[in-house]
Amino acid sequence: MLFNSLSFIVFLAIVLVLYYAKLFNWTNKKRMLLLASYLFYAMWNPPLVILLWISTIVDYTAGKKLAVLENQRQRKMWLLLSMFVNLGFLAFFKYGDFLLENFVTALNAVGMDFQAQPMDIILPMGISFYTFQTMSYTIDMYKRKIEPARTFLDFALYVTFFPQLVAGPIVRAKELITQFYEEKKATTQQFLWGTFLLTIGLFQKIVLADTLLAGTSDDVFGSRTILHGLDAWTGTLAFSGQIFFDFAGYSTCAIGIALMLGIILPDNFRYPYAAIGFSDLWRRWHISLSTWLRDYLYIPLGGNRHGITRMYAALMITMLLGGLWHGAAWTFVIWGALHGIYLVVERLLRNKIHIKINAWNGILLALLTYTCVNITWVFFRAREFETAKNMLASMFGLNDGAKILQSFDIIKVFTVITILFICHWVMRNTSMKAVSLKTPPVVLGIVWAILFVLICIAQGSGEQFIYFQF
Amino acid sequence: MQLKTSFLVALVLSAIGLVSWELYWRSQGYEPTLDDNKHLWAVERDKVNSLTENDVVLTGSSRVLFDIQLDEFEKVTGIRPIQLASAGSSPLPIFHDIVEHTDFNGTVIVGVTPPLFFSTTFPQAGPWRRPQLRVDHYHKRTYANRVNHWLSIPLQENLVMMSGHEEEADENIDLKGLLRRIKLAERTGKPQYPPFFEFGTIDIDRNTRMTERTATDTAFANVITNAWKFIITSDGPPPDVEGTTKFFAADAKKFMERGGNLILVRPPSSGMFKGGESKFFPRDKLYDELVKITGAKSYHYEDYDELKDMVCPEWSHLSAEDADIYTRVLAQEMIKDNALTKPTN
Repeated sequence: MLFNSLSFIVFLAIVLVLYYAKLFNWTNKKRMLLLASYLFYAMWNPPLVILLWISTIVDYTAGKKLAVLENQRQRKMWLLLSMFVNLGFLAFFKYGDFLLENFVTALNAVGMDFQAQPMDIILPMGISFYTFQTMSYTIDMYKRKIEPARTFLDFALYVTFFPQLVAGPIVRAKELITQFYEEKKATTQQFLWGTFLLTIGLFQKIVLADTLLAGTSDDVFGSRTILHGLDAWTGTLAFSGQIFFDFAGYSTCAIGIALMLGIILPDNFRYPYAAIGFSDLWRRWHISLSTWLRDYLYIPLGGNRHGITRMYAALMITMLLGGLWHGAAWTFVIWGALHGIYLVVERLLRNKIHIKINAWNGILLALLTYTCVNITWVFFRAREFETAKNMLASMFGLNDGAKILQSFDIIKVFTVITILFICHWVMRNTSMKAVSLKTPPVVLGIVWAILFVLICIAQGSGEQFIYFQF
Repeated sequence: MQLKTSFLVALVLSAIGLVSWELYWRSQGYEPTLDDNKHLWAVERDKVNSLTENDVVLTGSSRVLFDIQLDEFEKVTGIRPIQLASAGSSPLPIFHDIVEHTDFNGTVIVGVTPPLFFSTTFPQAGPWRRPQLRVDHYHKRTYANRVNHWLSIPLQENLVMMSGHEEEADENIDLKGLLRRIKLAERTGKPQYPPFFEFGTIDIDRNTRMTERTATDTAFANVITNAWKFIITSDGPPPDVEGTTKFFAADAKKFMERGGNLILVRPPSSGMFKGGESKFFPRDKLYDELVKITGAKSYHYEDYDELKDMVCPEWSHLSAEDADIYTRVLAQEMIKDNALTKPTN
């Protein structure tokens, strides 16, 4: 089920009525939320709920064992079982076709004539998110950083909680399971703020991503011709905006919906296009994934504890795997590699060049960072290397290709992206909540109404969120 | 933070804004209509799975959609057909889906609009891709898709602002459609598609009728013929007569071998369409040959006195009244010929 759909509006209304009606005690409310979460997922493809169940049962059992076992070898075996199941799901469902394709290519490259039937495996929605979430629980249990879930119900709800099930934020056990221990009820302020966040998230998705930017981005990246530089830049900027509004929109909706139930989810985006440098970017973009990768990959790989070379290697491996997490294609690996290189170069430069950031050089550095990020988006969005190569050549003036976009499309994209960048810059050291507190209530109400009316007018065709496929 | 105040302000202003928006578009002559989208098509496609051998399925391009009226057909034959025709489409992908993915062995009436029927078997070409997307959607649709569609029907039927179209028509009043109306300096150097408006209304079971305005307002009909003129005179790939005939014949053979009853119909056309179709898609070399190769029953409008002089207001489709007449005559002829009865082997 998609947040931007009629069925979800009805679903949420029913869940809220059942949640706040005095029909159930807290345990039964949690059961209702769990059932609703399974229904939320099953409305897409019912049999794949089984994967959620397996992941839940395996990790709950592993967690319980890890809590009581003292034998280190046995503890390691339970951890490995959890990793095997979760990474096995990912390897099969997400990377099965990719691995097979590369296996065939490798055999052909060494002269062995081998062809394989594509397996055409369905990619379960949000598999990368919930497997990472459950793995974090088992790893934290193994490291004795957290207490085990008190009940199976609490753990199952942690794995399946519908607001963040299919596209995050990837929440750690200590941040979410503990909230399920005591009855939660949103205050009026929380409920209304959650509704406001839901409106903001839907506006980002339906109006900004799908209505204003997606068409231009699709036209440019779907074009089979070599493009004019302006068209290539417009398409890339449109995608940079589309993916931000799409994903940040989902996260904002998720946080808002959870808040309407009295559950607090962590921020996932903090105005990333105002980042000054790439370390800053990754503290602002998909925060729940970057912190996951930091804690469960970069630090175990050595982090910055074993010298410069090892640190750079850990950084590169983390970013390469981070790229692969987004999709089973080499273009995603290149996207990750570019971010890895950016981070390494930034660290090298930081040791040699010391700049005192002020408002003037800050905005220029943010613009430089954003420009470099756009180059990586080309690999992220292009389905083939050939497309990415042609796009980059056009963007750097090496092609004098076809003009496929109309003047209005270009003006529209540049206007939206300029406003996006300025908003991120203005908001970079504050939050929506802080700004709302300073805004007169009537003005906030007017803004809220404008967003809502635009969502209704845009209608939307229920386009899927981009990150569902990751 | 006084969110209660903000919420109330938002609620009141949203209500005022949306009611004003709805009333404004109604004052501009817009009326709520259903959208002929992939969801509506999929509902009808799903019905094919439970049909009996006495049932009838219609497929083809928009001419079948506009010209064969379900009520009239039912009045004459006692059978209400399932309407699977798709505008701007080759009927081949949909017929292929019926043959390959159902056991249906009743009657399939396939409309032949020569420029579309004989156009292509290339999956990325518009006449193939458009119906194939509908077929793919049917096979992949989720339960959420079904519920969304079901919930959207009362909204589409009652609110102008919710009557968006899947196809990019110039009267679309969703935000994307309104933005598309803004035209600044042309920079692509390519000829621009002339304005195009929907000229029919569709019911819940996809029965489609031409609007009164299209039938009576010549200026409006000319807007549509200008769009057809643009399509006819645009450079496009040549028709693939051999490929399309071969592809269809294979499906026809398979369908008839399992006891299916195949009927080809050629609805009327007028003006530039009729001229172009006669010149570039001569009946004797294409349509008659197709009938001969497939062994299907055939109803060509030129063979019937009541039909051969029918005029399409915008060259391609019949007015609602004429569509009733066309359907009545066609159905009566079919009854007379016992054409809706399966051949006995």
